[in-house]
Amino acid sequence: MAETVDFRNPAYYTNRELSWLLFNRRVLSEAKDKQNPLFERLKFLSITASNLDEFFMIRVASLKDMVNAGYKKTDIAGYTPKQQLTLLEEETHGLVKEQYAVYKRSLVPQLKANGLRIIEHHEELTKKEGEYIDRYFADNVYPVLTPMAVDSSRPFPLIRNKSLNIGALLQKKGGKEGLEFATVQVPSVLSRIVALPSDDGNMSVILLEEVIERNIRKLFLNYDIVCAHPFRIMRNADLTIEEDEAEDLLKEIEKQLKKRQWGQAIRLEVEEGMDERLLAVIGRELMISAEEIYRINGPLDLTFLMKMYGMEGFDELKREEYTPQNHPMLPPDADIFEQIKKGDILLHHPYQSFTPIVDFIKTAAKDPDVLAIKQTLYRVSGNSPIIAALAQAADNGKQVSVLVELKARFDEEHNIVWAKKLEKAGCHVIYGLVGLKTHSKITLVVRREEDGIRRYVHLGTGNYNDATAKIYTDTGLLTCNEEIGEDATAVFNMLSGYSEPLTWNKLALAPLWLKQRFLYLIHRETEYARSGSKGHIIAKVNSLCDRDVIEALYEASCAGVKIELIVRGICCLKVGIPGVSENIQVRSIVGNFLEHARIFYFENDGRPEIYMGSADWMPRNLERRVEILFPIEDEELKAQALHILESQLKDNVKAHILRSDGSYVKMERRGREAYSCQDAFCREAKEAAKEVKAAAEGTGRVFIPEMHSAE
Amino acid sequence: MAVRTFAAIDVGSYELAMKIFEISKKNKLREIDHIRHRIDLGTDSYASGTISYENMDELCRVLKEFKEIMKTYGVSAYKAYGTSAVREMRNMLIVLDQIKQQTGLEISVLSNSEQRFLDYKAIASKGEDFNRIIEEGALIADIGGGSIQLSLFEKDTLVTTQNMRLGVLRLNDSLQRLNPKRTQVHELLREMIDNQLAVFKKLYLKDTLIRHIIVVDDYVSMMLQKRALDGPAPGYVDRETYGQFMEQADHYTNVQIAERLGISEENSNLLYISSVITAQVMDICGANMIWAPGVTLCDGIAYEYAEHTKLISFSHDFEQDIIACAKNISKRYMGSRKRSDTLESIALTIYDSMKKIHGLGKRERLLLQIATRLHDCGKYISLNNVSECSYNIIMSTEIIGLSHTERVIVANDVKYNHLEFSTYGELSEDENIDHDGYLVIAKLTAILRVANGLDRSHKQKFKNIRAQLKDQELLLSVDSSTDITLEKGLFRRRADFFEEVYSVRPVISKKQG
Repeated sequence: MAETVDFRNPAYYTNRELSWLLFNRRVLSEAKDKQNPLFERLKFLSITASNLDEFFMIRVASLKDMVNAGYKKTDIAGYTPKQQLTLLEEETHGLVKEQYAVYKRSLVPQLKANGLRIIEHHEELTKKEGEYIDRYFADNVYPVLTPMAVDSSRPFPLIRNKSLNIGALLQKKGGKEGLEFATVQVPSVLSRIVALPSDDGNMSVILLEEVIERNIRKLFLNYDIVCAHPFRIMRNADLTIEEDEAEDLLKEIEKQLKKRQWGQAIRLEVEEGMDERLLAVIGRELMISAEEIYRINGPLDLTFLMKMYGMEGFDELKREEYTPQNHPMLPPDADIFEQIKKGDILLHHPYQSFTPIVDFIKTAAKDPDVLAIKQTLYRVSGNSPIIAALAQAADNGKQVSVLVELKARFDEEHNIVWAKKLEKAGCHVIYGLVGLKTHSKITLVVRREEDGIRRYVHLGTGNYNDATAKIYTDTGLLTCNEEIGEDATAVFNMLSGYSEPLTWNKLALAPLWLKQRFLYLIHRETEYARSGSKGHIIAKVNSLCDRDVIEALYEASCAGVKIELIVRGICCLKVGIPGVSENIQVRSIVGNFLEHARIFYFENDGRPEIYMGSADWMPRNLERRVEILFPIEDEELKAQALHILESQLKDNVKAHILRSDGSYVKMERRGREAYSCQDAFCREAKEAAKEVKAAAEGTGRVFIPEMHSAE
Repeated sequence: MAVRTFAAIDVGSYELAMKIFEISKKNKLREIDHIRHRIDLGTDSYASGTISYENMDELCRVLKEFKEIMKTYGVSAYKAYGTSAVREMRNMLIVLDQIKQQTGLEISVLSNSEQRFLDYKAIASKGEDFNRIIEEGALIADIGGGSIQLSLFEKDTLVTTQNMRLGVLRLNDSLQRLNPKRTQVHELLREMIDNQLAVFKKLYLKDTLIRHIIVVDDYVSMMLQKRALDGPAPGYVDRETYGQFMEQADHYTNVQIAERLGISEENSNLLYISSVITAQVMDICGANMIWAPGVTLCDGIAYEYAEHTKLISFSHDFEQDIIACAKNISKRYMGSRKRSDTLESIALTIYDSMKKIHGLGKRERLLLQIATRLHDCGKYISLNNVSECSYNIIMSTEIIGLSHTERVIVANDVKYNHLEFSTYGELSEDENIDHDGYLVIAKLTAILRVANGLDRSHKQKFKNIRAQLKDQELLLSVDSSTDITLEKGLFRRRADFFEEVYSVRPVISKKQG
């Protein structure tokens, strides 16, 4: 029967953009969730807003480019770019409506109940408050404003991407001429949230645009203000085509480049109830079509909520901040090289601290026996201690090679700055590879020891970014396994432009063989299932949209392989299609930390194999990026990795289950005890650290003789 | 520290490679890095005898990077060798000097026989397996880019070694010109390879049964080292399994091979060619086991370094291989074994007694030994023109382990054994030989001549000769029972040359009984 099913039938796939919007809805549902502390909900709502901005700038912009270029190739689910845009319009309008419903109906009233009043319209200010605000305007805001009017001698000004502006229609005082358009940008240098003085312990805030709106006549003294409303635009500013699209598209775009309006506005957000005449002017000047206009019932650009989250006070409305714990094998004073020599170490961030990884590089930089440090850097935090350590290592005469990926989205400029810094310090810097993004996270330390060269390797699923390592869940392996060391050396040889090694011992690399490797591993389960053994796959990824991988999973499902997928974001695979995907379950965990680790489990007929890596099951990861997949081979570590997967499968608090109709729902707990895997990991990490600490401190004045352990 | 880090660089015809080794008593040679850079020096060099500006630039750039990499491992010594592409450059010396100026790296050039000898040492560095296998009889197939080298072992001794222009890249070039269908490739390759192999079989193998073939290449070795085929141990595969693989491989596309073995598509094509060569070699000798130790020239370079610096001691005696090879050449040209033995014994006795005066070393002694082995090989062609014929035979026969200069020395020793010795000017006109080389030729020739004179009758009368240096005379004494009238009578002219070279007069005497 399997032979007769065409697993590539577009009907068996979900469009990736729609699936992404569903993900954003899951984030939104966290903002709705009354179980979450109120301020956490603000944060989630803010995330949905910034997510959506990025989605417009990258994905929607890309689709618009395709439409402009006359590109008609269908996607995985069989839609042309034009059809996708139509579908997305409806969905995004719906999503935005829901965002504001949550904001207005749920969050604002509850904030007020908890002593934080958001003054939505300046008209609501009391007289006293009004006076304060006017003074604030005169002292702080007025000096930095640049009002711009439009008339025959002054053209329509450039409205900056993502900036918040106030548009107004003016009439010359006493004049009879027509209305004139004017605009002023809400300055981004000032805090969007303006707090009012209070004397009853409650807090009142008003948004900056309201402050300006209230005082707008002071900007146009010779005019009467007919109306004034905030608006915000999003531009197709990204000249590079998203790498996910086919190369033929790139050529097409090049040909069509002249036709394309660069920097074209693709979304206009305006306050609901904006004067139609004003809207008409803006719409006309920005050449925006009706369906690209979003009429917003509330403040534009909800990302200010992240700032609100950061306001002092309200601690009882926030989640208790979690402090990453020490890994039991890596207490702060441990000799990291000695510890790694004792055995491989698996780290689970942010439950376990990222500090040992930073220390690993810091120690290597100072260690007189270390000869060389090699590392790939993708997104690094500003002021990164890792960069400083690498520079110091070079200064100490170590050979330091760093591959800096400049193509990381939005980070280009930032990356160039510190790459230059490293070069100045004497590091050998490779600025990425032609045509490929280096997404792998690997560090190699070459150390000369008594019995010869030993290589220490760190392989991770997340970037070497000490800031995001506190928010993203990632896993990493520290090892001095000789075979992995050889492979790591080979990886850096390849990144330096040398030939592929004759053999790889343990690592699989994209874009060379990673996809085949995955397909092989999936297929192997299929074969086992067909021959009557138990087939079982558990995969945790951020996105699943590679057609070949999904096809292989469908085939495996049909052969009877049990497939459990933990996919945080985009999932183009559909579950529960009779004869296609009945044995596949998909769940998505959206929690306090951003799920980011990629872990793969294959039953392998009773000899389970576990892998981790930097790659998602996306075409771009498997075909246009340098990615590394590494095995976890130590039995104890395998158990730890499996525990991570099993806990995620057990989660009934933050897990959303994908249904056969394509929607996600939260688990029905049906009386079972609530289990949040992220909370559980926090608890476990704390307990493990506590045990080690207790053991280290001993019990007061009694000496404890060292005993041989039972194993 | 008991560990030394060494870098071996191979400036090959199609690839620039460097291996980093740790050398220690405990781990012997431990490879810690292998860096390869594709660069086609061969095409330029073979066609025009030069190196293009771009290639020179790239070569120097990569070599400079190699130097940096050496630093990352704290390398304390290195050895860099160029092979055929460098060897065949007309302006080789200039190129090497430029490289030295630009990179600070000194590159020596290997003759084919030296290169193959190093490959052979690389195999030997695998220790016990090597000793066992050559004991049982083996054919080494050293498959390079431009040519292959077949070396035959019978009972622990090297019988012969032959070079054939059937390298993987060379065959690939020829194939691409034909642009055949996949199904035709095997047949075409077979045709290209087989007639040369048939000659080899006819001349050297006849009906000898060879149990093993040892493969040195980049592709089959990798496959076997990875255990992509079922074998008793990494690097090994039996005839049957290999045959099955070949049958499948004939039907696979390059992409399928690449996917199955996890190698690049380009390499998979070369893998296929290398596999076919291996299969054909296996066919002609009837071997039932393939061993691919997975070594490269770099391993041999490191082995040689470790041997010279006495960091590690190895059990196999490579000089014996060189001598065995010479013996087999002599045998092929119907040289008299007995006569050679005598000559060798006399010559070495004289050589050893003259040590203080000639100031030569172990290596030159080996050359003399080879010269005695090959002194009469030209007789096979002409009894009247032995000198020239011997010279020509030696110059066109590979003697594994000898550099070109060394081969020139041996060939000239044999030549001037009978002919009037030439001046440096005359000799250096024909041969690429320097003053030192010339003196070695003169010194060895002088000894060879005397030794030859003492065995004029070919009756091994002087087999148990004793030599003693006394003042300005070299006393050569034999048992008194022997009639040495003939030798004594004809000895003068030979003694004159000896005296000219050493200022020592050889004198024959009968021992008082």
